[in-house]
Amino acid sequence: MDLDTDVLVIGGGMAGLAAGIRSQERGANTTLIRKGQSATSYSSGAIDVSGYLPGGSQQLLSAREGIEAITSLYPLHPYSILGFGSADNDDVPGLAIERVGQAVEWLTKHLKSTPAQLYGGIDSNLEGITLVGTKKPTALLQQTIWPGEFAVDDEGVMLFLGIKGVSDLNPKIASKTFLDNQARTGEPPHKVGNASLDIAPFGHGYNLSTTNIARWLDREENLVTFIEQVKKKAEQFGATYVALPPILGLEENLKNQKALQEATGASVFELLAFPPSVPSFRLQRGLERVFIEKGGHLLIGHEAEPCGIESSKITEVLARSPRRKVEITTRSVVLASGKYIGGGLAATVEGLRETVFGLMTVTDEFRESGKTRPQRLTNVVSLSPESHSLFGCGLSVDQFLRPVNPDGDATAENLFAAGSILAGYSYAMEKCGLGVALATGHYAGETAAANATGGGV
Amino acid sequence: MSKTDYDVIVIGGGSTGTAVVRDSAMRGLKTLLLERDDIASATVGTCAGMISSGFKYYNEPEFMDMCTDEVMHLRKIARHIVMKLPILFPVLDFSEISSGGVSKGMEEYAKRVERRGVPPFLILAPEVALELEPMLHPDVVASGYIEEFFIDPFRLSVLQAMDAKKHGADVYTYSEVTDLTVVEKEGIGVSYHNRLTGQIETVKGKVVINAAGPWAHKIAKLAGANLDLRLTKGSHIILDRRIVNVGITTRAVDRRWVYMYPHENTTLIGTTDLPTWENPDELVASHDEIEYLFKSFEWIVPSVREARIIRTMVGVRPMIPTWKVPEDEVSRSFEVVDHEPQGVSGLISFTGGKLVVCRRMAQDAVDLACEKLGKGLDCRTHIEPLPGMEGDVDILGLSEEHSISQHALERMRIRRGTEVQEILNLVREYPEWRSSMCTCEPVIEAEIRYAIRNEFPHTLNDLRRRLRLGTGPCQGTFCTFKAAAILAEELELNGEDYQLEIMDFLSERWKGKRPPMRGEQLAQEELVQGVYACVANLDQTMNELDYDLKPWEEVS
Ligand SMILES: Cc1cc2nc3c(=O)[nH]c(=O)nc-3n(C[C@H](O)[C@H](O)[C@H](O)COP(=O)(O)OP(=O)(O)OC[C@H]3O[C@@H](n4cnc5c(N)ncnc54)[C@H](O)[C@@H]3O)c2cc1C
Ligand SMILES: Cc1cc2nc3c(=O)[nH]c(=O)nc-3n(C[C@H](O)[C@H](O)[C@H](O)COP(=O)(O)OP(=O)(O)OC[C@H]3O[C@@H](n4cnc5c(N)ncnc54)[C@H](O)[C@@H]3O)c2cc1C
Repeated sequence: MDLDTDVLVIGGGMAGLAAGIRSQERGANTTLIRKGQSATSYSSGAIDVSGYLPGGSQQLLSAREGIEAITSLYPLHPYSILGFGSADNDDVPGLAIERVGQAVEWLTKHLKSTPAQLYGGIDSNLEGITLVGTKKPTALLQQTIWPGEFAVDDEGVMLFLGIKGVSDLNPKIASKTFLDNQARTGEPPHKVGNASLDIAPFGHGYNLSTTNIARWLDREENLVTFIEQVKKKAEQFGATYVALPPILGLEENLKNQKALQEATGASVFELLAFPPSVPSFRLQRGLERVFIEKGGHLLIGHEAEPCGIESSKITEVLARSPRRKVEITTRSVVLASGKYIGGGLAATVEGLRETVFGLMTVTDEFRESGKTRPQRLTNVVSLSPESHSLFGCGLSVDQFLRPVNPDGDATAENLFAAGSILAGYSYAMEKCGLGVALATGHYAGETAAANATGGGV
Repeated sequence: MSKTDYDVIVIGGGSTGTAVVRDSAMRGLKTLLLERDDIASATVGTCAGMISSGFKYYNEPEFMDMCTDEVMHLRKIARHIVMKLPILFPVLDFSEISSGGVSKGMEEYAKRVERRGVPPFLILAPEVALELEPMLHPDVVASGYIEEFFIDPFRLSVLQAMDAKKHGADVYTYSEVTDLTVVEKEGIGVSYHNRLTGQIETVKGKVVINAAGPWAHKIAKLAGANLDLRLTKGSHIILDRRIVNVGITTRAVDRRWVYMYPHENTTLIGTTDLPTWENPDELVASHDEIEYLFKSFEWIVPSVREARIIRTMVGVRPMIPTWKVPEDEVSRSFEVVDHEPQGVSGLISFTGGKLVVCRRMAQDAVDLACEKLGKGLDCRTHIEPLPGMEGDVDILGLSEEHSISQHALERMRIRRGTEVQEILNLVREYPEWRSSMCTCEPVIEAEIRYAIRNEFPHTLNDLRRRLRLGTGPCQGTFCTFKAAAILAEELELNGEDYQLEIMDFLSERWKGKRPPMRGEQLAQEELVQGVYACVANLDQTMNELDYDLKPWEEVS
């Protein structure tokens, strides 16, 4: 089969979908191919933009503050690159903040009234509470994950409410951890409780997954008894906040949350979770729906075949699925194939490589990493506050997000890269994963569309 | 006799020390075991678990006899944790079978097959070998075939310790011996650092048995005695799946023997043998060791590099001090050392030895202790079964009765034998404890609770040794936070200790994962960082809590 498109996006995580939607909006006929798993569908329901500076231990008050500092301290960080603009731009922080801010607003608008509806922005970081009772700074939370504001003199009670048979949340320990951390930082609320619901939705109360319960709660008839049970526990503890595992629904979570809040008078919300997580499913599906509504062409289960770059332009990419081959003719390409989970980067013991075009890869310090043994890019401590170079490796790009060769020139004039395949930041440490993917994807989509429809960047 | 006076104090809770404490307690001696860390936390936990026929030790027929006896004893006293595995010795050239002592090995092996209840040594035609193991190189011209037995080294050690307690022994883990004072005629005063309370405590033993494995020379020195050991580092690679269905043994690049065993849901490849003087706690596998093992196997299993390496595992062998001979010419037997001629009459140490002969090592040492104590007590460790041997376990019936998958129950039975029943009693009371906590190994919550309540673990790493938790392909990515929460609940840990428990466990896993980092493993590691740093934000907590660097993290 053959296919002709203006813009081809390789990768269907946050970066690829943001690029695809944006490109389609800009009037370019866009095709997106996605091979398989994405880090996006492993994420927790928070859109991190900037939580800490690289290697830093001070929680940033806002993403704006983070981007401002990053652009002046780390000139090759993806946020700095977004701030470059044209040669006469002398306000890198300003442009970076503008571009990231626009992308955030744009995403918020697109996800409004969908199950992945967002709350927050770049002007003030929120604190998401996790399944283990810890907190992390983030720019946006899915609406049903946002606990609400805590007043300085908050006298409220935070109830961690588990469900028997859902092993992801141990409410007793999560509440203890939460309380210990609150005591250390002096932040409210200072009162916690814990309890478990015995709902046995499928006739048994063990080996229950959050996804299955969420699906169960999508059906209205199941909600009534659930609300009653939550209400009973909330009253028993005098809870002002009720923290649940992410189970409020794959589709009906907004409505369900509202019903629960009305019944209990408390803020009922979901905790940030680990994969496989319901919120990341809502996000992934939400983005895909927008892309399709905009008229984008989505090819799931198609893998871009490795190919070399022979001239200054990429005109053809071969995509393969288990049953067919598709020859795609294109005018621009956005490479948003992710890091190691996504599969954009791979490593043998010899070194790191980019998997589709064989592009040059660099370390977090922008040294070529094609011949560096991966183990040498790691620290001796696993959860190191400095992270590991390995997770800052990726592609080095120019101001239009075009991957560069060892001479610093664009490898191909119509190839743009976005998301976690980019070098120069550690999303796990900085808490900026989906934010970088969104902002670079959004910008790459615009540039690729402009390049395909108007010729040149 | 006061509460702190013992007939026998055993130092070290590996396979040897736990065998000694069991034997001593069973003979009715008042016995204490002091272990610095957890049961089976050192060498024994890094071994392959083969209770060998001694095939490679054909020059030591008496040792082969001893191995044979011990295998038969272990099969009798611990049937539930013993399994049998066919092992191929494939060759690309006939001379490999006819030379290098292999025929002598075959001969000695053949003499003992009847006693061991296995078929005779066979030489297989290539098509037969390939049918047994399709992953072999197609150019294999023939293959030797033997059968060997394996035992779960963690469970064996834990069961020996549990059984010793049942016979009245005291077993203290997290108790590091810091000083030995010889008291004329009375025995030896033993000081230890209780790592749980931070206190230094003192006890007295008429006899002290030093079973500290590769640290035994240091223990001897505390008493002013001398013990010479030949220490060698041995590393293994563990692959994320069973790439072979049978064991394979072959000659390495330097003609040593190396092996590959399917082990539970993984594959174990080992081992190296390098003289070492490092602190065993700091050792990690080197790049050269990993490549040595791959290179050695590539000839015979060409696809060996295709699977994902999930970790490496390093141990130090405390061998008999024979010097200036190649490693494979050092006797694999053991010696019981009486330090009396050095003027330390109550101290007994070991050199050499293996997992397979741990019971026998204990018997000889306790015999000597009895002699010193003037008591003629008989050893019964080869007759009386270890816990979990009280009959058969009806997996099918229990699976139906308790709505737990047969697979999960079968895995539980392999660890616990008839103890399965006690875990199922918990399930009856708490139906939700049927939930599986680990995606790689179907460990259910009830077994975790049972182990915490009955097998004295203090950390998540201790639980791992008892349950195989976190040892599969994902190396704890998905079970660590869940299991740590159960531990925290049962041991009433506070929130900070809960977080530290997670970090300690991840760092122990990282120790083995980091050296071979490559390929698909990077995606797995990104996931770990995603879960525990990106979402749980524990990399920041690390800054705030009192995380102690581990020995291997202090050296870089
Ligand atoms: C466990 C976990 C939790 C996280 N939680 C959060 C969080 O709460 N908040 C946050 O902001 N960030 C979080 N992150 C980080 C965040 O998920 C990533 O930084 C972000 O999703 C990266 O998006 P991406 O689009 O660049 O890559 P990915 O989402 O990985 O997408 C890559 C895509 O490329 C496709 N692909 C790769 N190669 C090919 C090919 N040859 N042909 C076709 N398709 C291909 C893949 O199939 C995939 O669809 C988390 C990460 C992890 C691992
Ligand atoms: C790579 C490798 C593979 C092997 N494979 C096999 C095999 O397949 N089959 C086989 O039969 N044998 C095998 N062996 C040999 C076997 O593992 C060892 O001989 C045996 O397990 C040693 O057990 P141990 O109890 O003597 O030592 P260890 O297990 O090391 O126990 C000693 C204990 O003493 C403790 N200790 C140290 N200092 C102190 C102190 N000051 N106070 C209190 N406690 C202290 C330590 O913490 C440790 O737990 C292998 C060995 C290696 C290294």
